[in-house]
Amino acid sequence: MKKIMILLFVSLFSFSVNSNAKSITLGWAAWDPANALQELTKEFTAETGIEVNFEFVPWPNFADRMLNELNNKGKTFDLLIGDSQWIGSGAVYGHYVKLNDFFDKEGISMGDFSPATVHAYSTWPKGSKNYYALPAMGDALAWAYRKDWFDRPELKSEFKKKHGYDLGVPASWNQLHDMCSFFQGREIDGQKRYGAAINTERGSEGITMGVTAAMYAWGMEYENPNKPYDMEGFFNSPQAVEAVEFYRKLYEDCAPPGHSDAYMVANLDAYKSGQVAFQMNWYAFWPGVSKEDKDGRVSGFFANPKQNVAAATLGGQGISVVKYSDKQDLALEYIKWFARPDVQQKWWDLGGYSCHNDVLDSPSFPTSTVYAQGFLDSMGIVKDFWQEPTFVELMLPMQEAIHDYVVNGKGTAKGALDKIIEEWVEVFEADGKL
Amino acid sequence: MSVKKKFKGLSDKAVGWLFIGPTVLLLLAINIYPLIYAIKMSFTNFYANKIGRVPEFVGLKNYIKILNKEAIWEKMQVTASFMFWTLLLQAAIGLGLALLLNRKFKGNELLTTLIVLPMMLSPAVVGVFWTYLYNPQVGLFNYVVNFFYDFGSFDMIGSSMLAPWSIVIVDTWMWTPFTMLICLAGLRSVPNYLYEAAEVDRASKWQQFIYITLPSVLPFLLLALLFRGIENFKMFDMVVELTSGGPGSATELASINLKREAFEKWKTGYSSAFAVILFVTIFGFGNVYVKVMNKIKER
Repeated sequence: MKKIMILLFVSLFSFSVNSNAKSITLGWAAWDPANALQELTKEFTAETGIEVNFEFVPWPNFADRMLNELNNKGKTFDLLIGDSQWIGSGAVYGHYVKLNDFFDKEGISMGDFSPATVHAYSTWPKGSKNYYALPAMGDALAWAYRKDWFDRPELKSEFKKKHGYDLGVPASWNQLHDMCSFFQGREIDGQKRYGAAINTERGSEGITMGVTAAMYAWGMEYENPNKPYDMEGFFNSPQAVEAVEFYRKLYEDCAPPGHSDAYMVANLDAYKSGQVAFQMNWYAFWPGVSKEDKDGRVSGFFANPKQNVAAATLGGQGISVVKYSDKQDLALEYIKWFARPDVQQKWWDLGGYSCHNDVLDSPSFPTSTVYAQGFLDSMGIVKDFWQEPTFVELMLPMQEAIHDYVVNGKGTAKGALDKIIEEWVEVFEADGKL
Repeated sequence: MSVKKKFKGLSDKAVGWLFIGPTVLLLLAINIYPLIYAIKMSFTNFYANKIGRVPEFVGLKNYIKILNKEAIWEKMQVTASFMFWTLLLQAAIGLGLALLLNRKFKGNELLTTLIVLPMMLSPAVVGVFWTYLYNPQVGLFNYVVNFFYDFGSFDMIGSSMLAPWSIVIVDTWMWTPFTMLICLAGLRSVPNYLYEAAEVDRASKWQQFIYITLPSVLPFLLLALLFRGIENFKMFDMVVELTSGGPGSATELASINLKREAFEKWKTGYSSAFAVILFVTIFGFGNVYVKVMNKIKER
């Protein structure tokens, strides 16, 4: 009996110690960089004694889960690494803590971070100096290709004979199409291969992120630079229409069979399994691809090709403190630690994409990995989708209309873009912007 | 203290209310109140995510907007087509299987268990693994189809012509056993003497089926179809996992569209109006259907 009492006492005591321990919860998407962050955070816990619990949500449910949590004023998360497009709603609806005073107090300068990432991940309204997040994970849509196939002399000469230029990193979307279609249906090492795994996902944001990579390269603008929310003739300009038509052509001529609802993981799987010569994906996945290719013989990487202009679709996230958290002080302590240049360097070393200038401007950075230069190039030319508080309302019609045109083959590109503008006008009107 | 003593002084009616009271309260709280609240919301421009913004009364604006929106009617057509084909196939195949399993043969129990297995699975899981079965490169479904006739590579999920059939096939595969089980219960309730009398009257097997089996099993079949109809009207998880409503909006059922409007766009007022319209539709159809079913039973 005495032993039982002692055991009971010990377990009660340990429970009480445990419940008194300082801890915070960080929410992010479930992917490789999140694992790297978990590894990095061990040092924070060792330094401060603050435990960090992680909740990683698979990408297809990430936005739903997190935005529901914020809209319900949930206290599950103290820190949130949220998509760049959420910054508008985070600021306007008061989900995120404004960080200006904290940055001033702790001497954290946004000038120490890459301007494109500060603009995209931290500020609202855009271009202002109101900060709601610290740039956490720089990212952009880019391409990986099968370097080992490209290096084969017989394929190189056949390609040159057919197209009159060398098989290599494509300098334009036209060249990309030439190369993708060159590999489409081709037998290599006894297996049938295909051109490119591109974004076609319908449910969340996949096909929009993919098609905008082409639209930006053709020079599309969302709105009249001199008259906000005036989209007619800009979003559906002849260049934008041509880009959407091109994306459909790329899908029809170069995607592997059944690649009709594919995004990050599906593209990665198609590439890793040797089905395709190219994959479109976020930089966040390149450390994983590169890790499996130690001598750099199999895979090469390049930034989004130029067509009329150099541009790339922005990905990435900033880290924000959730307004409804009871542990804002601990969450801010984490941000203070994460902003340190030495921590940012370790973040990059572990496979995260630091946005800190000390890391990016280091002379050794461009050669630190095979994709580092591409990342630098991309971050200088990124463009993002609307970051308005109503971004989900803006995203869904685009997903539907573009998928209907590109995958379903229904209607025309101009018709799809006109339909999107029609829906967007309705959204902006309801939001009082028009 | 005995129950009799405890309730001494209470009328039978009061005791009855005492028993059903908690259930009624629970129903009011989780069914009736949300319904009334949703109806109220449907007359406003409420956005649940726009904190601090006071909803304004907009009258019938949401209803008019929904009923005049071409895209909504497209979703309703997709839903109607999905319901029509799934119910038709499940009725025909379910009844056929029930007739087969109503006979005594070796392995009857094992076959019944195997046929019933799909409906024990989670619809979301079914949706996910059928995406693999439909894969044009490695999918078993495409392989089997091409085994019988070489159609070449085809994409069940990526083609607007085939995608609506892809969800019909999966739903039929999953829920035909349900129709079958209910029909089987109906078949087993038909007294043998009816068939014996028919044999005496020299009725053919076809006549026995038309005049004895079918009328006896029809109320059961209609009941099964009522359940399946209600379920398929609000079908969501399996289709989302399988096609996400695509390609484009080829398989975007009304329930998927409602979820997107309510919990992705957060148009609470608008989606409440849409939910009320869907509720009235299914409630109306359900009532008419039950009346027809009762008339058939009375015959």
